Amino acid sequence: MSKAWKLMKIMVKMQLSMSSKSAMEKAGYFFIALMMIPFGLLILFFIQGIIGNLYATLEPLGNESVILGLLFMMMAFIFSFISIGTVLSSFYFAEDVESFIPLPFQPYQILFGKSAVPFLSLYGLNTVLLLPSLIFYGLHSGAGILYYVFAIIIWAVTPIIPFVLTSIILMFIMRFANISKNKDRTKVLVGLLGFVFVIGINVLVRIDTGGENEDLARLITEQNGLLEFVTKFFPPAYFSSITLTELGTFTGLLYFILIITLSALAIFLFLTIGQKLYFKGVLGLSGGKRNNFKEENVQKQVKQQPVLFSLWKKEIRIILRTPTFFTQIVVQSLFFPIFLIVLIIIDPNSPLTGWGSDLNQMEGKKVILAMFGMTVVALGINPASFSSISRDGKSWFNHLYLPIPPSKVILSKLLVSFFLNFLSLMLITIAALFILEMPLTIWLLWFVLSLVTSWIASIAGLMIDLYSPKLTWTDEREVFKGRFIGIVPLALEATIFGVIILVLWNSGLEGIWSVTAVLLTILVLVSVCAQYFLNRLVDRNYYKLL
Amino acid sequence: MMIEINQISKSFAGKQAVKNLELSIPDGKIFGFLGPNGAGKSTTIKMMTGILPIDEGSISMNGVDISKEPMKAKHLFGYVPDRSDIFLRLKGIEYLNFIADVFEVPKEIRKEKIEYLTKSFGIYEALDDHIQTYSHGMKQKIVVSGVLLHDPDVWILDEPLTGLDPKSAYTLKEMMREHASRGKIVFFSTHVLEVVEQLCDEVAIINNGHVQFKGNMIEMRQQFKEDDNLERLFLELTQNE
Ligand SMILES: Nc1ncnc2c1ncn2[C@@H]1O[C@H](COP(=O)(O)OP(=O)(O)OP(=O)(O)O)[C@@H](O)[C@H]1O
Ligand SMILES: [Mg+2]
Repeated sequence: MSKAWKLMKIMVKMQLSMSSKSAMEKAGYFFIALMMIPFGLLILFFIQGIIGNLYATLEPLGNESVILGLLFMMMAFIFSFISIGTVLSSFYFAEDVESFIPLPFQPYQILFGKSAVPFLSLYGLNTVLLLPSLIFYGLHSGAGILYYVFAIIIWAVTPIIPFVLTSIILMFIMRFANISKNKDRTKVLVGLLGFVFVIGINVLVRIDTGGENEDLARLITEQNGLLEFVTKFFPPAYFSSITLTELGTFTGLLYFILIITLSALAIFLFLTIGQKLYFKGVLGLSGGKRNNFKEENVQKQVKQQPVLFSLWKKEIRIILRTPTFFTQIVVQSLFFPIFLIVLIIIDPNSPLTGWGSDLNQMEGKKVILAMFGMTVVALGINPASFSSISRDGKSWFNHLYLPIPPSKVILSKLLVSFFLNFLSLMLITIAALFILEMPLTIWLLWFVLSLVTSWIASIAGLMIDLYSPKLTWTDEREVFKGRFIGIVPLALEATIFGVIILVLWNSGLEGIWSVTAVLLTILVLVSVCAQYFLNRLVDRNYYKLL
Repeated sequence: MMIEINQISKSFAGKQAVKNLELSIPDGKIFGFLGPNGAGKSTTIKMMTGILPIDEGSISMNGVDISKEPMKAKHLFGYVPDRSDIFLRLKGIEYLNFIADVFEVPKEIRKEKIEYLTKSFGIYEALDDHIQTYSHGMKQKIVVSGVLLHDPDVWILDEPLTGLDPKSAYTLKEMMREHASRGKIVFFSTHVLEVVEQLCDEVAIINNGHVQFKGNMIEMRQQFKEDDNLERLFLELTQNE
């Protein structure tokens, strides 16, 4: 086992190590940690409020256990959701496994090492969300020391079962992905399907638990009735809740032993079945596509295009074909709008539907300013732009000896992030016009403003990346992991535009058209300035990145 | 034509990789660039191709200074890097088409050339596959095909023969001879001394960033004992330090 620990330490170090980070990046971490404190306090405050209210309502009915049930259900859902991304990325997208296989490690040791980072991120969340919630529950119920002892143990085992379930399902699917022809594409599809699956289950559970009102009365009067109802899709949540509510009784102890046994069993299954499934799936999975050679196919691809278009196409192809880039860039920038649309469509009676028509009653100026502010935030973190240069990694130097002017390469990269932003703006447009029924003029003004904003955001992200790119990666994830500089453009834009919005909001300027005109003028000015600084940075840095 | 390298220097984090290197490479010659590992060959070549900025000195091709008029100079040469870190997620054909777009090769010519080059290197049937799936030698061949596709006057090749099978190595060597015989320049680095003996008109041996020897093969033999073979000569020249 000590070998497994060593392996795990190396893997964790390779993925998270601070040693290769510059002083600036370290300062960035520190800064972000500082900014997180008020945010964290806010979350704590929020959790405490919810638990307090629920407790006060449910306790008289003897149904307070449902709070824990809901909590454990929610955590299981969050853990499965997060695990899809981390498991895929650590187990399958990272191709470093090929360098560990020839070394004298047992398969389960490699699997153990590979799960370290996904597990660490789960425990991070677990500490931020579940731990304070359990403590608050304890405080409200006036629990004794016994509760806290068990709570800590339950806290420690909660991530195990969702993680193991998710990863075993993913491993099972990946076994079949390995047979497919275009492996990179399949890997991405599996990831997408995973997310859809988990969202789908969540929706189903909500629909299922929402409907039967008449039963509710019965459930409420029965002790733990609600709990059984809420946790019926995930028994471990029931066991955990009972353990913590029936402390010191035989039932409590029984369920405690049950949950511990289940978790141990899960770990055992993970290391035994998991290692078989994993190696069947991962060996030979490293990407790329081989086609049956057809002469016409090749001939068709020979065509003359302008260099700028050719560069742009190359970038887009690389993003679409690299699983990590695809998930980090495309999925992430489209995720939010799609999520929004799905939420609205699922529940046609939601207060948001047709909300756009209410806009007419609001002051036009405020509507446009608020929408503009939201756009700035939504487009602010743009993984396509702050990975513009870093994405190339070791192949960056190819741009240097080819006779392509730096400005053209840079422009092609700007157009890529602009294009991806454009796609998400189009999705939002669909939601805005057809579901929210927003007035056409407001949409049009917003759209024009957003296009310019998106251009500025693309420049800002690219400048940050050009200023300190990460070109020496061996694994695509390094382009995004721990590169918190992605937040810098957002912070910059939020500050600049925040002030502008504030000033305009309070100014005597009235009317939607004049506010838009002023905003547009400012935006154009800002983008001209940004372009100027970008050009200077290109002159200074472009040939000196290696 | 001619390549003129004037007193160039380059250091990395205080360590000098190239010191006052001076070379001139005449037209119509195959020029071999030798030296032990870490001597500064790749560094010199990277400065010639504009990948690394030159700390001191200047390099010009056909009178065009690479630092002053980079775009013009870069149209003159084709470069095969020492590592084939090219765009792995592209297909072979997409890569070649991209290179042809950059050099504005007309459609009919590129079709013909792609077919001719990749068929002579035996990678024609792999053109529709991602470069990622290529073997080391196949990657090398696709890069070489890309360079030859736009028919540059100057070929700058950093260890072009490593990883090529005997037949492809032979093909490439023939192409190099043919190019030089048309009065153009082939400049390449290598560790294989037999290749140098077979192929080169002129050689330069560098060590620790500066030139230890330069001249044509005949001079080289004369300067040292007649019976010495190239291997002994090379070892002798580079053994100090
Ligand atoms: N990016 C870099 N950073 C720091 N030092 C470097 C870098 N690139 C090269 N060097 C150093 O410069 C010197 C020359 O390296 P170069 O790659 O030019 O050698 P080479 O002659 O091509 O060797 P080889 O025959 O192994 O290819 C070496 O000492 C090397 O360590
Ligand atoms: Mg070298």
